[in-house]
Amino acid sequence: MTARPLPAAFPAPPSAGLAALVALVGVPAALAACLTVIGLLQLLPAGLWWDALHAPDVNDPRQLLYRHAFLPRLLVTVQAGAALGLAGTLLQQALRNPLAEPTTIGTNAGASLALTIATLYAPWLLETGREWVAFSGGAATTLIVFALARDRSFSPVAIIITGLIVSLTCGSASALLMAINREYSEELFIWQTGSLVQNGDAIALALAPWIAVAAIIAFLLVRPLRLLDLSDEGAAGLGARPAITRLAALAVAVALSTLVVAAVGVIGFVALAAPALARLVGARTLGQRMVWAPLVGAALLWLTDRLVQIAPFAGEIPAGTATAFLGAPLLLLLLPRMQATPNRLRAMPLLTPHRAGWASLLIMVLILAVAALAAVAFGQGLDGWHWASPSELAEWLPLRAPRVIVSLAAGAMLAVAGTAMQRMTGNPMAAPEVLGVTGGASLSVLLLFLFSARLDRAAMFAAASAGALATLAAIVLLGRRHAFAPDRLLLAGIAIATVASAFSAILLASGDPRLDFLLVWLSGSTYRATAGDAAMAAIAMAFTLVLVPPTARWLDILPLGEAAPRALGLGLGRVRSILLILIAVPTAVSTLVVGPLSFVGLMAPHMARALGFQRALPQLLAAACLGALFLLLADWAGRTLIFPWQVPAGLLAALAGGPFFMILMWKGRR
Amino acid sequence: MVISFGIEPVAVADTKGYRDWVVGPALPTQTIDLGARGEPNLELLAELKPDFIVGAYGYGLDESAFARFAPTFNVPFYDGTGTPYRQAEDVTRELGLRLGRKADAERLIAQTAATIAKVKRGLSGLADEPLAVVSMFDDRHVRVYGKGSLLQDVLDRLGLVNAWTGETNDWGFSSFGIEELVAIGEARLVSLDPIPPHIRIRIDQSSLWANLPCVRAGKVTTIPPVWPFGGLAAAARFATLLAEIS
Repeated sequence: MTARPLPAAFPAPPSAGLAALVALVGVPAALAACLTVIGLLQLLPAGLWWDALHAPDVNDPRQLLYRHAFLPRLLVTVQAGAALGLAGTLLQQALRNPLAEPTTIGTNAGASLALTIATLYAPWLLETGREWVAFSGGAATTLIVFALARDRSFSPVAIIITGLIVSLTCGSASALLMAINREYSEELFIWQTGSLVQNGDAIALALAPWIAVAAIIAFLLVRPLRLLDLSDEGAAGLGARPAITRLAALAVAVALSTLVVAAVGVIGFVALAAPALARLVGARTLGQRMVWAPLVGAALLWLTDRLVQIAPFAGEIPAGTATAFLGAPLLLLLLPRMQATPNRLRAMPLLTPHRAGWASLLIMVLILAVAALAAVAFGQGLDGWHWASPSELAEWLPLRAPRVIVSLAAGAMLAVAGTAMQRMTGNPMAAPEVLGVTGGASLSVLLLFLFSARLDRAAMFAAASAGALATLAAIVLLGRRHAFAPDRLLLAGIAIATVASAFSAILLASGDPRLDFLLVWLSGSTYRATAGDAAMAAIAMAFTLVLVPPTARWLDILPLGEAAPRALGLGLGRVRSILLILIAVPTAVSTLVVGPLSFVGLMAPHMARALGFQRALPQLLAAACLGALFLLLADWAGRTLIFPWQVPAGLLAALAGGPFFMILMWKGRR
Repeated sequence: MVISFGIEPVAVADTKGYRDWVVGPALPTQTIDLGARGEPNLELLAELKPDFIVGAYGYGLDESAFARFAPTFNVPFYDGTGTPYRQAEDVTRELGLRLGRKADAERLIAQTAATIAKVKRGLSGLADEPLAVVSMFDDRHVRVYGKGSLLQDVLDRLGLVNAWTGETNDWGFSSFGIEELVAIGEARLVSLDPIPPHIRIRIDQSSLWANLPCVRAGKVTTIPPVWPFGGLAAAARFATLLAEIS
């Protein structure tokens, strides 16, 4: 049996070996152990440690805390870290994808959504066990991703993009439910941030047998899993059944990660980082990785949790948030060491294209105009659904028009930015939302929020633009060095988006009543759109629609790779800088008015392409129409469907766009 | 606050949330739901043509957006001085002035003070015993009310000692893991409803919780919902509910 090595994104340097692996686990573990001992000594004299373990005197608060808070937390931390390390290894092997982990393939989002729904609408389900609720949710989303990716022979890009879309969809659904159940969501806010705080030994003890069972099954799967390194046909030739192996491994990984989600919440990055690090320093075979990755995961999470506890902050910094902060830079650090995978733009056409002409574009503009009028004039009021009478219109126009204009403008701008990004980077998944550009914009607005009492629009706009531009510049710098390898760009984008969402999770969990504002902004509400916002968005859209189309020739050439533009005498640096600004400014404006997560920038270009707009110019214009139409409808539906309550347009766009995109992918499968 | 004046509001944001978390003073059944507290429906507001709009602006809601429908009134309880009760009195007076119900305002202020004074006289069981007031949103964390909260001000006026003396944020509370409750020793723990049933079950299963000094001493009491960020009516309600413990 000749096992071809996995197409590794993190190749092991030849000199690395056991010593490096031991160091990788040993150094963080030793540090964590030191911090743990120091913490313990502060809590309880060493002489009592043993006695307090098996026969604690609960009249002594120190012993109580030691036995029912400190030790359980330690145990849960180490178990969660190990479980995540193992889950990541299994997923990466089963899906042949170095980026697969419970967060990137949608498992965590599904588990979270299931728990959110259960908490808000069926709390009795949680009385017997959160584990099953989390598992059902996680399994469902993982299966969706699996089914969609299977027909693309599990191409890493297809998995990550479906995972991302499923995650965004579930995330929007959770956010939506929490937004309309604001006072009932406190528990969910806390839990979302991944807090390792324990209230007794129950979870620590309950987790252990489950993880042990999962680990045993995982190790029984090592041999068949190793065969997945071969092509499916090759493995079948050796008598293996790749489909079953894969499903079994997925099931174990989903069980492990949803156990962690149910126990402590979402802890990001450990499942991605642990196997990657283990592989990087020399765990070459699957068997080695399955031993070392859990150890690395446990050591990392342990250290993170100890660091969080000595951090000089007033409130609790949840470990799940901290891992995102620590993990994101680590990921960025690792990026240059990743082996480039070939550019896959042409590897994933969504639909067999036919051509559409200018007439269809005109029809789209007309539809958009009609929709815009309807969005202003038709809606629900005190007496139910009706068209506004002229007198009502006069009253409603100042209320509705700004919202209609900002959503229309933001949709068009995000769509143009998305199209330009996809063409500039030659990456079908590039979009302001996916590559962290809106994340960067919102991150800098959050920082502004943290350091200043008042939030005026000008300051927010400046912060958002700076954030978007900085992120884009980082992406281009990073991408240029590696010929815009899709995996690498995605990772960078995910890292930035993760930091942004971790940051907002901390702010939200702090319980500050001002955060109502943040919550609605993050969910993409147009509620606060003023006439000034509408003017700003409209002007920005006008500039975008005037300035971007002249770059269409560049956008036709750029996806062809670096050689073609050079041969045609294009200065790549200059072209990219211009495009960069043309993408950053509309993205920043859109982020301000509809929040960071709307999906339109990712979807609209694909929808335009699927409708037959192939070349850059028609694709840009068609995408702009579609994006505008999409956000416009989302805003209208958000204002009217659950009247007098309202659903943020960005959220609704993500919620409706996700499934739509999945259907496109399903139909386009080979 | 408006209801405390004996006025029935035409519409209130998040009526369900009010009935679950604020409870008293009771909301009239015909009051219309205006939608989320963070996003009261402006179109509906325009249709209702209210005479007067009372709101807490500055937390993401822009007062000018409401001013076009009717005269507005802002309720700033937390201005950083850390005395919400006194502020609630001031705001009540101001609102009374604006509504042309100066006498009602003074009566509400006096009534609240009288309620608290009456509760204070009747506090035989709780007297001299420190207590901590918490909300529990999950089974691992608590929110404790302390310095700068309305509830602290009420405790002070009742002559009761808050067992929690730690740091609090601008709104007078602090959130942390339940293990910190060791710090209050065997003091009485007053926990505000509502606590979701599944959370209560998980709290009861918690070995740390079961062994906390205050829990083992049997000093945990749950009282019906009180809106900790409310005004004088919430203050009076809290005092009355405390009186029922003893």
